Amino acid sequence: MRRFLRRSDIGIIIGCIFVFALFSLWNPQQWFNWGTISNVAQYTAILGLLAIGQTFVILIREIDLSVGSVYGIVGITFLGLESSNVSVLVSFIIAMLFALLIGLVNAVLVIRGKVSSMIVTLGGLFFYRGLIYVTTHGAVTGTPRAARENWLSQFFGGHWLRIENGFLLLLLLALLCGVALFHTRFGNHLLALGGDPASAESQGVPVNRIKTSAFCLCSLFAGLSAVVTLANDPSTNVSLGTGMELQAIAAVVIGGTLLTGGRGTILGTILGAFFLTAVRSEMIALGAPPSWYISFVGIALLIVVTINTVLAKRLKSV
Amino acid sequence: MGKPDGAGDSRQPLISIRNVSLFYGNIQALNDVSVDFYQGELVGLVGDNGAGKTTLIRIISGITPPSSGEVYFDGERITKFHPKKAIDLGLECIQQTIGICDNLSVGRNYFLGREPVKRIFGLPFLDKRKIRETSAKVVHDFGLRDTVDVDDEIALLSGGEKQTFKIARAVTFRNRVIIMDEPTNHLSVRERAHVNELAVQLKQQGLLVIYITHDIFQIHRIADRIVILENGRKVTDVPRDAMSTEALEGIIRDGGRGPAKGPKVA
Amino acid sequence: MSHSIRNAVRRHPEGVTIGLVILISLAFAVITQGGWVSIGNLQSISQVTAVLAIMAFGEAMVIATGEIDISVGSVSGIGALTFLGLAPVLGSSLALLAAIACGILIGLLNAVFVALLGLPSLLVTLGTLFLFQGIGYAATSGFSFAATDAVRREFIYNAVGGGSIAGINVAALWALVVLVLLQLIVFETPIGNRILAVGGDAASSFSRGVSVTRIKFGVFVVSGVLATFAGMLDAAFIGYADGSFGATMELSAIAAAVLGGCHLAGGRISLIGTLFGAFMLRGIQSFLILLAVQPQWYILVVGLIVVLASLADRTLTRFALKK
Repeated sequence: MRRFLRRSDIGIIIGCIFVFALFSLWNPQQWFNWGTISNVAQYTAILGLLAIGQTFVILIREIDLSVGSVYGIVGITFLGLESSNVSVLVSFIIAMLFALLIGLVNAVLVIRGKVSSMIVTLGGLFFYRGLIYVTTHGAVTGTPRAARENWLSQFFGGHWLRIENGFLLLLLLALLCGVALFHTRFGNHLLALGGDPASAESQGVPVNRIKTSAFCLCSLFAGLSAVVTLANDPSTNVSLGTGMELQAIAAVVIGGTLLTGGRGTILGTILGAFFLTAVRSEMIALGAPPSWYISFVGIALLIVVTINTVLAKRLKSV
Repeated sequence: MGKPDGAGDSRQPLISIRNVSLFYGNIQALNDVSVDFYQGELVGLVGDNGAGKTTLIRIISGITPPSSGEVYFDGERITKFHPKKAIDLGLECIQQTIGICDNLSVGRNYFLGREPVKRIFGLPFLDKRKIRETSAKVVHDFGLRDTVDVDDEIALLSGGEKQTFKIARAVTFRNRVIIMDEPTNHLSVRERAHVNELAVQLKQQGLLVIYITHDIFQIHRIADRIVILENGRKVTDVPRDAMSTEALEGIIRDGGRGPAKGPKVA
Repeated sequence: MSHSIRNAVRRHPEGVTIGLVILISLAFAVITQGGWVSIGNLQSISQVTAVLAIMAFGEAMVIATGEIDISVGSVSGIGALTFLGLAPVLGSSLALLAAIACGILIGLLNAVFVALLGLPSLLVTLGTLFLFQGIGYAATSGFSFAATDAVRREFIYNAVGGGSIAGINVAALWALVVLVLLQLIVFETPIGNRILAVGGDAASSFSRGVSVTRIKFGVFVVSGVLATFAGMLDAAFIGYADGSFGATMELSAIAAAVLGGCHLAGGRISLIGTLFGAFMLRGIQSFLILLAVQPQWYILVVGLIVVLASLADRTLTRFALKK
């Protein structure tokens, strides 16, 4: 039991239960209708997928500030291809390859170029956002009807038993990633690298390969998140994804992952995404202006980071 | 080389550690350690890796407060632990991994924390000439090659040169206590002998010198007293002549469970 | 001979940035057939450069200690909104003081979490970024604050951004004042020595008696004040501000500092370089506008430059430190 309480995500678990209970009791008609549930599920999926990718990077003490722009550009690439009558499947594959490429570029610059990930991904944030504008000239076309009804689009954007597919996909991937992180050698190496880079290296952890994987996973998830978003709702504009990187980081941190690396869970991350989404939804439902939500995220972040860091210092040995 | 008095010393210890323990999270680094240090003596603080020597020094130099127990300096209880306080009390420390900022010049490193100033309109400006001249004189007196310019970044120095720098800095600031944590690291044989002579000279000038080392043979030659730590506890505290080097080494090797310990100093 | 080149590069890393800026400026002047260097254009560039530079100076101070402050964009918005919101009611002088006070308070808030509680500055300032962005939006409720005609005639209003001297907006003069002040503090005072020391090796600095906490408090307050000041300067120039004022400017501020030779890890700063970094960013933006190129190329170019500049800086540092 004590070990359960010492989990990094115990805070967000309690937080989510609290929020869920609070909203259910306070505003049941608003909270428990399919419209809200569907909305919350979809947005949790979008933010959650972004945040899962970011989790891998933060666990190894790096950061990826470009995920918002990557989300944007991969999504718009996907849409653009579809509009040019490329099949949905091929569009998807190309979009994912593009995301993978971006991840590789990040990894090479950080590992070979020895530039800090904050700078590389800050540059990426600017660069890919600019690339979106430049290539689309500010106009984004929607998807043709046939594409929207394609099986793959339905896979990402449709429903199953009234539950958003994106959300189901999130759960599935979260489960896979959680297992990968805590029950495979790869995950072990990743956590070791984040917890104590020097020891990890001397113990034979393939540092470069792990780092590359983390950056690639991060960009891939960003791209996937975009596909899920657009398959469900193909109307968008060039500012797609602006600011999402900060929200993703907030979700990861609120979920209990430490910036100092080596400590965190996928469950915490998706619960963090759910927490933020649920609060946002409730705030909108209550008529609060959107600015209140942004302030709330800020305050929640400060509180959570304080608690997590203080707790971590107590638990740390030396 | 006078020995400090045995039990029943009427001199007040300069530094007194009473029942000090320190926990890092769940790990106990120091366990109920009590030891006194007197002015004008050279104490060898010995022990295997992880014994707690550096931890004890971190407490004495103000970097970390103890989890429990008391520390007295000149009879007064220390309540707030901060390196600035230790330095103001006259304590200089040569530590193994910290003490030098690679991005600063030799001169700036030398005076870090007590930079000389010249006042212009009442505002404090660095006295760069004094920084340059004083630090240059000191480091060259201590044998750093003449091509080293004190305006150069200290990162350009070799390990041995940085060590020499640390020693020079500690020794030339007016003080009462010098703590040396493995001061002969990175040094050549001749340089080591020089450092050890220096430690003895400082003691003779009336300073308290606490000398941490692995090398029991080396310290046995110059120390007045040997204190052995093992697993966070003090296991031996004897005047140098009370035990042979081999016996002391045996204690360290056996993890403090060795044969008869010599007569204890209070 | 090569030894002295190495020395020069090592001691003045901003030299490369300055050289590049001069070259690029010449190129711009030629390509636009003088349009880029026209008086009007240079005046315009100088105003936007000054505002960015002042914010970037504060950022550079924080980065020098090894921390980061990504709240400066939102904080500049608070400065702008406080000033424009209060000026019609209380007059420019009091509004100015209020804006500066906000900067101090926000800086203290950041500092408490980072310096006292030891939390990671990226996350703390991310939190304050969100917090103050929300407050900014809430305060304006979708509208904007504008300076009234009465306010525009006030001396103070003109002194803090509304007016110009010889055609150059006062922001440029303020930027120079701040530059000289900070340059003196960082390189010619004990506090500056300790700022650099903390950024280089906080543990070692602490062991030598430096109060790392106090130094970090200081730089965050400076960053907060300069951010609100920059926001105020810009708001006074433009004449109105809405809730999105200052959004994403923190990225440009960090980019300017990095371009100027500041190391994100701390311990190395160049204020002159930061000024030139800000100038480069705004100069490029102006160039693209003159060429009637889509302004969005600017963001793309900035992204490239920031990464390339870092790569170059790494190589140069390795070269300069070779013994």
